[in-house]
Amino acid sequence: MTDEAANPAPGYQYADAVQASEVSTLGMWTFLATEVLFFGALVAGYFSYRIWYGDEWIAAAAHTKVVLGTANTAVLLTSSGCMAMAVWSQDAKAKRATSLWLAATAVLGLLFIAIKSYEYFLEWQEHLVPALDFDPSRYGGVTELFFTWYFCATGLHALHLLIGIGFVVFAAIAIARDRLPAGMSIRILGLYWHFVDIVWIFLFPLIYLAGRNG
Amino acid sequence: MSAMTVLRCWLALMLLLALTTGLAFAPLGSATLFVSLTVAAAKALLVLLLFMELKAGNSLIRAFAAAGFFWLMIMIALTAADYTHRTDVRVPLDNPAD
Repeated sequence: MTDEAANPAPGYQYADAVQASEVSTLGMWTFLATEVLFFGALVAGYFSYRIWYGDEWIAAAAHTKVVLGTANTAVLLTSSGCMAMAVWSQDAKAKRATSLWLAATAVLGLLFIAIKSYEYFLEWQEHLVPALDFDPSRYGGVTELFFTWYFCATGLHALHLLIGIGFVVFAAIAIARDRLPAGMSIRILGLYWHFVDIVWIFLFPLIYLAGRNG
Repeated sequence: MSAMTVLRCWLALMLLLALTTGLAFAPLGSATLFVSLTVAAAKALLVLLLFMELKAGNSLIRAFAAAGFFWLMIMIALTAADYTHRTDVRVPLDNPAD
């Protein structure tokens, strides 16, 4: 949505500000639909392996770090709450609060990346990284396949999050300086951020919870 | 969306996270994945409807939001239909004949 407060005059191609905001919201949702299928292919792959390899696949999932994964889920869900508060602050025309909520969102996003990196480090130490350092004498081939899938899924998710953090930091600084570019919208940025959160909401049970009661 | 809605939604998400993590350690057998994905769907719905404002959005935007998930369901259903009905023997990943 082109924020009416920051940009009262919509582009000449729009009838009014309401139409301008609807068009940009629709555009973001169209992009997100392609992202659903992008990450959805990974989820479909997971189900195929789950059906094909059965209990071996679930046993491989037990090597993941459930405490770190759960903490990271809490961090990311909270960051989404902060992002929703940033949108709310902007609607209330509280610029300082908007900037601060965005900063909190970015900090939590970076905390997520830090925890994820630590997890990767632990997996490296346990020789669980396929292609780079994987110990076939300790783990089976299905575990290697699981961790190949795991690094693809979490890596692509982390890449999306890093892009989001970049935009959120930029917007937080731009709002603090009163220089938010006319076409940039916190509401649209929020849609992207929440979507990355939703991807994680589904990756979390697939990766961390699947192998816990075996 | 009010600040109170954001707070309530966040609290609900945290409770669902605690619930799903607890249930993952319960002896549910092969239902584990189904249960945890059901809770995940509930969490995703909260985020979609409240944080992403689909509850207040117009129907065109809701239709676009639903489209991606609709096609995803078709992709997953057809992929699963294939894999669950295969009768060929899978090649073991360990000790390949070389």
